[in-house]
Amino acid sequence: MLPFVVSFDIVKMAAALTSRLTAAVCRQFQRVVTVSSHTQTQYATQAFSKFHSCQRRQMYDSWWFRSSMNYRALHTSCVRRGLDEFFDLPENWGEQTVKSGAPWTAKQLRVKSNEDLHKLWYVLLKEKNVLLTLEQEAKRQRLPMPSPERLKKVERSIKRLDTVVTEREDALRLLQMGQERGRPGEWRRNVFGKTFWYRFKEHPIPWYLNSRYKRRQFFEPSHVAPYTRLSLEKYLRSKIRREKRETRNQKRLAAMFSKKTAHA
Amino acid sequence: MCPHSMRLTALLSMAAKAAFPHDYRYGTNRPWTIAAQRLNPPSKKRRKVFVEPIANEDWHVVRGDTVEILSGKDKGKQGKVAQVIRRRNWVILEGLNTHYRYIGRSGDYRGTYIASEAPLLLKDVTLIDPTDRKPTDIEWRYTEEGERVRVSVRTGRIIPKPVYQRKDGIIPQQWKDGPKDTSPEDTLQKTYTPSLKTLEEEVMEKMNIQEDGKPRKSYWY
Repeated sequence: MLPFVVSFDIVKMAAALTSRLTAAVCRQFQRVVTVSSHTQTQYATQAFSKFHSCQRRQMYDSWWFRSSMNYRALHTSCVRRGLDEFFDLPENWGEQTVKSGAPWTAKQLRVKSNEDLHKLWYVLLKEKNVLLTLEQEAKRQRLPMPSPERLKKVERSIKRLDTVVTEREDALRLLQMGQERGRPGEWRRNVFGKTFWYRFKEHPIPWYLNSRYKRRQFFEPSHVAPYTRLSLEKYLRSKIRREKRETRNQKRLAAMFSKKTAHA
Repeated sequence: MCPHSMRLTALLSMAAKAAFPHDYRYGTNRPWTIAAQRLNPPSKKRRKVFVEPIANEDWHVVRGDTVEILSGKDKGKQGKVAQVIRRRNWVILEGLNTHYRYIGRSGDYRGTYIASEAPLLLKDVTLIDPTDRKPTDIEWRYTEEGERVRVSVRTGRIIPKPVYQRKDGIIPQQWKDGPKDTSPEDTLQKTYTPSLKTLEEEVMEKMNIQEDGKPRKSYWY
């Protein structure tokens, strides 16, 4: 995620540094989570259906594209502050330290439904954008960023959320298809004789029409074959040497710090 | 979540996590700080220090414990452990075993004269029996319930673990949530119902997104 650089001049920017409270979750989300989100999704569906139907009728009318109806259709939450969403609450502007809670743990995230995780992902993403804006502005002003640990907390929460979602996807896929990996691949041998896990890429054309792919060699030429055995021997030798070195060092340390020398 | 982006972030995190050489000499400064980088630049090769290998199960001193010093300048004094550095088997006590130095000098100003604590090895330090406040040897034993505790060999009394204090000074019981924090009830509330739908399918269902279009034919190789 690249930091968002604010290049235009606003009074708020010139005045003081924006400081932020960490995102665990914002109050709007709290309300949405505790109270049923039925009304919220209804609004969202109306907005979406209107968007699609209008688009089909008047595709290229530029006035219509710039109308507020279209902007509203993009939002599925109740927050409509435009560029203000890149900045923190005004009461945190100019503070040296901002209080922030603990990050989400994977254990806490595992009990949440997919819909909640989906919403939380975007809340965390927006908070990360806010903190990155703040970080960049602090660099521009050559001042320390207030409470940089907030960014680390948000990043960790995002990583853990991703872990939980991949866990669920993996479980479902294993159950239904028996596939361990989500992305197809296979063991292949490259030009240097090394066997590696080749991860497939998505292409629009089949392999026999892809001239660049056909030029790639997934086999070792005959003159490389002797070196495979030699490199295997080298690897085995280095492994054994490493293990022997470890045992030798352990023995030496045990002799150095034996009970006899300790009592002396 | 695109697999390409996750691989890129994995690479970046590998680069961000600072790797230290196997013969790096760990000091009192944390290795990622500027002070440590100034004292231990990558080119510096110092004489190797041999550290007694102590297993994690046998380590019995925790931050916040009261210990007594057995050898050195402040022999016989008791103090609280401020920091434990496992790499060198070091224990740093508050205000004991100090030497004096100037800090923050600039130009002509010689700086503030402060006392800075030197680290002590684990074998030069023992835990104190809380009842008679005398130094004792420690053993790890199991209680009736099956809990692993530190027991003083001389008296047989259990030495309780000190109350864990966070370094940022926050006490969880006295914490007040900010406007962006989720309350504990909401955090622990269970909303997950296992189903045979992926996250994308469930969210599309909730938002009434109908995806009728056939996905474009693509080839994986």
